[in-house]
Amino acid sequence: MRTLLTHAPQNKLLLLAALLVAFGLPLVVTSPTYLQILILLFFYAYLTSSWNLVGGFAGVLPLGHSAFVALGAYTSTILYLQYGISPWIGMLVGGVVASTVGIIIGIPTLKLRGAYFALATIAFAEAIRVLIENTDQLGPFKVNGPRGLLINLAGNSFSAYQFTSKVPYYYIILILLLIVLGLTVLLMRSKIGYYLSAGGEDPEAAQSLGVNVAKYKLLAMALSCFFTALAGTFYAQLMLYFYPKSICGLDMSFEIAFIALIGGRGTILGPVLGALLLRPLNEMTRIYLSGTLPGLHLVIFGLVLILVMLYQPRGIQEPLTRLFRRLTGLNKTTVPPAPTKGTVPS
Amino acid sequence: MSLLATRNVTKRFGGLTAVNDVSISVEKGQIVGIIGPNGAGKTTLFNCIAGAFPPTTGEILLDGRIVSGKAPYEACGLGIARTFQVVKPFAQKSVLYNVMVGAFATTNSPAKARGQALEVIAFLQLDQKQEILAKSLTLPDRKRLELARALATRPKVLLLDEVMAGLRPSEVAEMIVLIGKIRDSGVTLLIVEHIMQAIMSLSDHIFVLNFGQLIAEGSPNQIANNEEVIKAYLGAAYAVNED
Repeated sequence: MRTLLTHAPQNKLLLLAALLVAFGLPLVVTSPTYLQILILLFFYAYLTSSWNLVGGFAGVLPLGHSAFVALGAYTSTILYLQYGISPWIGMLVGGVVASTVGIIIGIPTLKLRGAYFALATIAFAEAIRVLIENTDQLGPFKVNGPRGLLINLAGNSFSAYQFTSKVPYYYIILILLLIVLGLTVLLMRSKIGYYLSAGGEDPEAAQSLGVNVAKYKLLAMALSCFFTALAGTFYAQLMLYFYPKSICGLDMSFEIAFIALIGGRGTILGPVLGALLLRPLNEMTRIYLSGTLPGLHLVIFGLVLILVMLYQPRGIQEPLTRLFRRLTGLNKTTVPPAPTKGTVPS
Repeated sequence: MSLLATRNVTKRFGGLTAVNDVSISVEKGQIVGIIGPNGAGKTTLFNCIAGAFPPTTGEILLDGRIVSGKAPYEACGLGIARTFQVVKPFAQKSVLYNVMVGAFATTNSPAKARGQALEVIAFLQLDQKQEILAKSLTLPDRKRLELARALATRPKVLLLDEVMAGLRPSEVAEMIVLIGKIRDSGVTLLIVEHIMQAIMSLSDHIFVLNFGQLIAEGSPNQIANNEEVIKAYLGAAYAVNED
């Protein structure tokens, strides 16, 4: 599977340019409002890339990933508020909690095919939300029901994961995004990546070729949930206040899936391209139409999704990649000469 | 000791006995054929051997070790590879990608898997098509891909489930040559096939199933003249009493 991230010099240049722009943007964009929009754009690109680890490569469609965002946010915030543990550590604990829960949920549900798995994940996420909304105290932990959790202001403090400027948040989410994208590239080129997509396409054939499909799907689920939960902590620290509907709702779960499907599920850049297209759309409809037509962005997402599924079922990354190849003259070499035995593009 | 053997294998689906008390053995380096009319239980026996489901009773032995009840991926790891009657390529992936999935059974390194996959692809003369997506291959090439993937797992025994079904006579002839080459490369083959020309010319030994039971075994010649076999295929009226 070739994408923009291969080794032609044009691709390297483009990658470098994209990185320069991404790292340089805060120097140009100084308005906190626009920075916030960019941060949320990367936040969704990151969430969708994490989702993609299981939803893209393992051939299942999870529609309840916001539950893991919530697990991350609640874990780190409760640890911070009740025990004074830095959210940085809480973030990792949240990741471990989410991937443990992901495995427990995955063992029975990953055997389900198609829509049944999707429905099971929706049910799970809704169950978590309803549980939190109706409980003030979960064992020793104060979750505060539907009122949500408010994080005390700590000024500019790295250890409290709080900053008065938006710029640090921007770089944190950018680096998280690069980490998950890097991991995706590594996975796709490794045995795990091959086994995951084989198991996703045809589990029976994959098993006959020695693939323990269930094990690899669980591994993907665990990784995906871990990274998704990190986004939960990030969201909590960015907003400093969250409640069950804001962080565990189906809106967020669906938006992640929309971005993946429209951008290109199971590709490296699909989630980023999807977020680049849909997030501004979301913000614009929210800014200009939220007074008169709230929720319109989901309607628009639905329309875009229908159009993309009809005309570009593998997401907008495909025509964009083709366009890029044509612009740089790479299309002549789409079938590279067979490399000699034992070499591999690493 | 035979490389692969089934010992009194029975498989029941509810009230239906698909395979009834079948014992066969496959010697190393042989091509062994299984024939029988439709519904005789050939594919069910295959599925039992390949681990798709465990036999109800009886055992399957590979190199003298009991392997029945293992999951398909474990059976593959032990050296039993298979192809499917209805080919199952990873349609959205290239030929090379498909074969590499098989090659990863013996290595964790993508570079090594790629090398092994390319060898197998060259061996099966698919090298012109290695970058083509599996979905755009012709049926004969898909059958080859199915073979290539299974071979890339470096099996001791390869189970071929009707790899020639749907091929034209010229393509059958090519496939016969190919299967001979696979045997010569040191892989033992167990094949289910309806095309008699193929099974008779390839097999060292043939087992005949009918209604789940083993009704005959022997060399191709013996089988062709076996009364029970003729009865099963053509009806009792055609069985000539030679006495």
